Amino acid sequence: MILIDAGQRDTRAFDAKILFAAQLSQAGYDVVIDEKTTPQIIDRNQKYEAAPFLTDIAQIVISAYVMIGAETICDETLMSLRAYQLAPDVPVSATGRFSDAQSLISSTAKISFALGREANVIDLNESQGRQLLTSSINPLVAATADIDETSASPAELFLFLPQDWLDEPGNLAHLSAMNHVPGFHLNILITGKGKDLIHKSDYSGVSVFGLNEMPPQTLAKRAGAAVFLGDGVPGERMAMFAMDVMCRSGVLVDCTTSGAFVNSGAPALRGPTDLAGLPNFLQYTVATNLVELGRQARQSNWLDRNSIQRLIEALGPGFVARATPPATTPKPQTIFLPTNGNGLGHAQRCSLIATAMPTAQKPAFAAFPSCIPLINSKGYSCMPLVQKSQGHDDPFANDLLNYLRLRQLFNPGDHLVFDGGYVFDSIYRTVMEKSLTATWIRRGLWQAGQVTDAALDRERAFQQVIVPQEAFDELNTAYTHGLSVHQVGPIVQDVAPTPGGVEKLKQKLARTFEHKFDQLVVSMLGGGIASDRAAQLHALCAMLQQRPNCLHLIVVWPGSRISAGLQGWKNTRVVKTKHALDLCQAADLVISAAGYNSYHEILYHQIPSILIPQSAPFLDDQERRARAASDRGLAAIVLADELLMLDREVAAYLDNGKSATIRAELEKTVLPERGNKRAAELICAKVNR
Amino acid sequence: MKTLPRIAYFLDPGFPGGTSGAVAAELAAIANIAQLEVHAVSSAMFGSKTVAPQIRKVLSKLGLDLIWDAPVVSGDVVLLHNPSFLKFHREVNQKIIADHLIVIAHENFLRPGGFESFDVGHCLDLIDRCSLTLQKSIAPISPYNRLGVEQWLSANSAAGHWAVVEQDWFNICEFEIFPPTKSPKDRRGRHSRAGPEKFPLLVDMDHCFSKSAQSNVILGADLFLNEKLDRNHWNMVPFGGLEVARYFEMIDFMIYFTAPTWRESFGRVLAEAIAAGKVVISDPDTASVFNDAIVPARPSEVDDIVANFVSNPKLYRDQVIKAQKNLTAFSASAFRQEFQSLINTNVRRAA
Repeated sequence: MILIDAGQRDTRAFDAKILFAAQLSQAGYDVVIDEKTTPQIIDRNQKYEAAPFLTDIAQIVISAYVMIGAETICDETLMSLRAYQLAPDVPVSATGRFSDAQSLISSTAKISFALGREANVIDLNESQGRQLLTSSINPLVAATADIDETSASPAELFLFLPQDWLDEPGNLAHLSAMNHVPGFHLNILITGKGKDLIHKSDYSGVSVFGLNEMPPQTLAKRAGAAVFLGDGVPGERMAMFAMDVMCRSGVLVDCTTSGAFVNSGAPALRGPTDLAGLPNFLQYTVATNLVELGRQARQSNWLDRNSIQRLIEALGPGFVARATPPATTPKPQTIFLPTNGNGLGHAQRCSLIATAMPTAQKPAFAAFPSCIPLINSKGYSCMPLVQKSQGHDDPFANDLLNYLRLRQLFNPGDHLVFDGGYVFDSIYRTVMEKSLTATWIRRGLWQAGQVTDAALDRERAFQQVIVPQEAFDELNTAYTHGLSVHQVGPIVQDVAPTPGGVEKLKQKLARTFEHKFDQLVVSMLGGGIASDRAAQLHALCAMLQQRPNCLHLIVVWPGSRISAGLQGWKNTRVVKTKHALDLCQAADLVISAAGYNSYHEILYHQIPSILIPQSAPFLDDQERRARAASDRGLAAIVLADELLMLDREVAAYLDNGKSATIRAELEKTVLPERGNKRAAELICAKVNR
Repeated sequence: MKTLPRIAYFLDPGFPGGTSGAVAAELAAIANIAQLEVHAVSSAMFGSKTVAPQIRKVLSKLGLDLIWDAPVVSGDVVLLHNPSFLKFHREVNQKIIADHLIVIAHENFLRPGGFESFDVGHCLDLIDRCSLTLQKSIAPISPYNRLGVEQWLSANSAAGHWAVVEQDWFNICEFEIFPPTKSPKDRRGRHSRAGPEKFPLLVDMDHCFSKSAQSNVILGADLFLNEKLDRNHWNMVPFGGLEVARYFEMIDFMIYFTAPTWRESFGRVLAEAIAAGKVVISDPDTASVFNDAIVPARPSEVDDIVANFVSNPKLYRDQVIKAQKNLTAFSASAFRQEFQSLINTNVRRAA
């Protein structure tokens, strides 16, 4: 393991370490950062970027050591170096931009005192010559890598904009116009605050990345061209991004007022310094010559002098030999990742689509613990993800762990299928960093406050969005548009009843529960995570206890918690099962929440039901969904506080023939074709691309 | 009446520890055989006008003023102490005019392995540019220091006009002499400033201050204390956290090793320990300064050497007495003699 360190211990030096570690890692080196060097305060993005490299040094063998930013070395760094007690054969190198010979001598001496021997100290001013950013801690080298073909056409254009340019009202309009320049797809690079401002403006349709949102090399992989506006080179991250763009045959357009990129000797193209002149320049000068400009830049001597290969050579033979050979590329796989949600809906939907895929393309899963039994029961392997917990220091600590697991799980070429509303950082980063092809299964019926640019912003990481439709048109709303957004029919389980199966099941239930019955009622109101339905369940138990010829089953998923008091009712039984639909099909009445899966299963399997929608800010709009069925006479809706209404409806279903009426209406109703197969085809098409 | 030679000192008076101590002792030693002027340069290292307490004290005692940043520094001989103070200067605004300019090389020019300790070429170049003299010499302060000076000069032909003074410009070591203990115990210690160059690798520290010792006192252990180093058998005290006299009461053996990539140029601290009646053990390079007054060793040999002295008190006593006798070679009178010889040989005086 190559240990990356920095002369200083501040946040800036830590950031430089992360970037350098990522760059070496990408070049095939096993690199680590001592977790004890993490500053007290680092931001969320830095935590994600650092996590793959942070290590307890006591647990590893250090095979080489590199210190960056060695022009100023603090005592803590020197003491750590001393404490590592590196063996004499462990190569030690340091890089710095030394202002003069004395600075180089001082740093060389300090390192040697801590190390007990001499280190290989590299003066980047000498080895690299003129540089983009003479004050950078990072060695600022460019790493060659393949262009990310998932975003090859049209070329992605990244435009860096200083935040204060948003103060000029006309600039946003110019940017919006630039979004339509032929040959490019525009992405703005701006501070996080600038991104928020753009999202809140009238021009929110433009793709915007925060400067720290993604590692520079991840953005550079996607960039066909990069434009820099403003006064000069805007910091180390952007300098590194620019280096990587050039090295990957992208075109760097220097529109800075100081000509900072061109004047450093970098193979950049000088462009106009104002937004007004930029669209024409991009269209007629850059877009038309994109390939040739990129090819010429790639051949630049300056770029060669600043390449990671040159640096590795300078680090010495001990480093050159340490790149791990590329592992044999495993066969690409499709991995479904259902979000945790409040029930098992996402996992259920994913498993239905997976089942519709050809056997030869059997996918795998990564899912939260509550979903794993369901997924395993369908015959799929599943890597467990970590559930959020109050015990974690950071609210996103579990997602950090999941990020590390997903990084391990996925290889370039794999296809990730995410089902959920909010794309977690772990997923977003894994897709972008690994250049995965990805599908987002995103059912609709979001509540008004949930439809935000921030929520939909991450759609750009996915090659396609599959929107499972609701059964009724008025419930379908398109949140985003385009060729990559596919509407498919409702994803619904299809369990055909076997002749005589219902009667046999009822007999079995009577035997199992030692209770003869004429009427079967099934309640499926969830495990109480999103909405507490204990009052409704108790009310149901009480009213059904008045009906000795009735068996009331409270059905929950195995492992769910259920109020202990529910066990005491005479003709109520709690059933924990994976086969709820079988019970529902045998039931005379189902009392259910109106989640996507249970709702559509009820409709498509013509089951008489009373719907008690759950309501929470993070849930879909279940009340609208329930009313759509109720308005059509296909179910009854009872709100959570309408217990008297519930009593009347139960009586209507069981005593007054409403069950039969509803069932007859459902039989007559033509519902959209199921979308399971179409969704599976869309996914397979991306996998086979 | 014979006119005393005019000797002008040119220095950064802010140097802590050994360098300023040596200069102060030297001023006191030659005050009555020379007309002294002391010129100070605003420091780029220690803040603009820092004066070490030893310098302040001796100037007060001798009734001399410290002259700051005079445009011209002149004398029959100008003594520039420790040229490394110029390493952060871009230029020197003073002019040095003298028959003989002697640069006293306190800090080693080279570290073990031949690596420069500071930008020697830059410092000598600044001195060259600001000085008009008939003769320019570099005076090493110890045999080890001399090796570095000569090696550096031979590798840098552009500095070929610099002569090297034949005699070492040694530090005056006039400490109160204490007799050795009659019953030495395995009580070990070391003291120094807290700089990382002053300490060997941890593995060597563990050899030098092993669990087998009755006690181990590390004075100047700030780095280890900051790091919360886990060594229960070490009494770690920050620099200045203990009177040196008290510290010497706590030990019988001074075990002094530095980073292998650094060496003391003289090692006043070792002379101080010898005077205090202790057996001193150090690496062979450092030991060479004081002839056979210091027991040369490798860290891994320390346990055996100490055990041998503890089991043989006479051997201990003989070693200390021999070492203390050697210290007379570094007395003020010895220095005066060397100094006068140098001045008389090299300074052309008006009749």
